[in-house]
Order: sequence, then structure tokens, then C-alpha cells
Amino acid sequence: MMRRRTRWLALGGAVLVACTFAGAVVASRLGDPPDVEALAAATRDAPMTRIADIAAGNGKTARGVFAQITANGQFCLWDAPTGSSAQGQGGCNPADDPLGGHALSASLAYEGGPSPADVTDARLIGLVASDVASVQVVMSDRSRRKMTLRQAPASVGGFRAFGHRFGRGELEHGTTPVVVLALDARGREIDRQATGFAGG
Amino acid sequence: MRRAATALAVLGAALVCASVAAAGMYAGPLQWSPGQGAGSSYSSTWHENYFATYGSGYDKAVTFIDNRSYGWHNTVRNRNGVTETYAPYPLTVKAHCVAYDWGFYGSCSVW
Repeated sequence: MMRRRTRWLALGGAVLVACTFAGAVVASRLGDPPDVEALAAATRDAPMTRIADIAAGNGKTARGVFAQITANGQFCLWDAPTGSSAQGQGGCNPADDPLGGHALSASLAYEGGPSPADVTDARLIGLVASDVASVQVVMSDRSRRKMTLRQAPASVGGFRAFGHRFGRGELEHGTTPVVVLALDARGREIDRQATGFAGG
Repeated sequence: MRRAATALAVLGAALVCASVAAAGMYAGPLQWSPGQGAGSSYSSTWHENYFATYGSGYDKAVTFIDNRSYGWHNTVRNRNGVTETYAPYPLTVKAHCVAYDWGFYGSCSVW
């Protein structure tokens, strides 16, 4: 009886070790995820460069689109009130691949929800590669919004950037941004990014 | 006197450990699937909510959910390697993260 229990314990231990080893192998092949604690500290120190604007609207003040290259090798793009604000919304990619392998890197921030009808403010920011001529947002009523692209300084990669606040008129009756399209000079789609609202 | 000092030191250490346990990673690292979400405990002292992945390009979101209306606040959705937002003030909220892509590895953390 005792011997059988020992055998089961040994088997369980072996399975545990095997799973741990397999997990470590998978993780090592995928690369390490960014250390968010170190990233949080690095973003507090790195300067922010304003590369586009977000107009006031929906009872909210104007904001900016800020790029930041951190000491630990991350390129971060923020939707924030000012360049010194801790109230940044967005994300980071490795500094050697700020677009994350895509022609378009967009980030949607919104207040309210999760139902689209409850969204009271929504803002879209993003960066595009040099072969992208224009960026359009397809809304849930099938209308389109053309984003204004601004050239970012070479110090933050020289990409073109955009920032847009969807006004109350655009969000009326639960109308929401559905998908962001990156188009070439002929209007052909190069990349797309769904916002997650229905229809994307 | 020495006993009181020891008791205070133990209490202090316990409080530090408790706060460390409460903040930090609340989901993962794990393999995510579309619609899969996770949440932290409710608190009025959260500051930032992160969803970090192995590699970039995975659609996901972070948000804060308040304990009264259960509405979403300061939601951010993108496919960056790290997706981040800050907590609304002054609300008691829980951090929440949700995946919209298949089979990527990542974890969610809050401070």
C-alpha cells in the first residue's frame, strides 16, 4: 500500500517536472514578455514627444499622442493629457519593431461600455509605415472617417501618426468605430485592425 | 519591550507581504483564447493595469470595472506587446483584461 503511494507520488512529481520543463521550453522559444514593473519605471523617466493631437470634445479637454522610447528598449505610444501626465493609455512594442510587424499600429481608448450604446467618449491613436498613404476608420453605419496623418520626428522613428476623438455626433445611437484600414496611394488595403465593436 | 518590537516587526512584515500579494500579476502567464477574461480584486488604490504578451500582434484589452454600475472605464484595446491603462478616480474598481485572439501567451498585472 505504502509502496503504491510512493510510486504515485513519484509519477506525479515526474509529470510536474515535465510540465515545468515544457513550459520553460515554450516560453524560451517565444521570448520573454516585457517586464511590466521595469517598463512602468522606465516610462516614468523617458521623455515623451508629442507627435499628434486629439481635439477636445464630449465634454473632455484636448489630449495628445505621445511617443516614448524607454531605456529598456520599448517604443511606447500614449494617448495622454500632457507629456508629463501619468494618465497615459496605449501600449508598447520593442523599439526595433514599433509597429509590431504590421503596417498599422492603432490603439483605441474609450470610456463606458462594454455595450457600444454606453460608450461616452472614444479616441483612436496610431502609427503607420512609410508605404501607407492614408488611414480610414469604418464606422458601424458603414460611413468612413479619414484620419489626418502627421509626420513624427526622426528621433522617434519618423513614422506618421494620427489621433482622433469620435465626437458625440459620431457615437450617436450606438454608432461605433468598427475597423481601421491602412491604404496605399491607390486606395488598396495594406493592413486592417478591428476595434472589437460589432462588425469588425 | 523586545517582544513588542518583534511583534511590531512581524506585523509590519505581514502587512508588506499582504500588499505585495494583492498587487501584481492577477492572471497568467497562460495561453489565451478569444473572449477569455480575468479580473483582480476590487480596490480604490489601483493605478495601472497591464496585459503583456510573448511577442506583439495579439488583439486584447485592459479596463477597470467599478463595483456599482459594473461599467467599464478607461478601456484600451490594441495589439501591442504591452497594453496599458490607468485607473479612474475616485472609484472602487477591479482591473480586468480580455483576449480577442487565439493561442498567445501572456499575463495581466495591476498596481
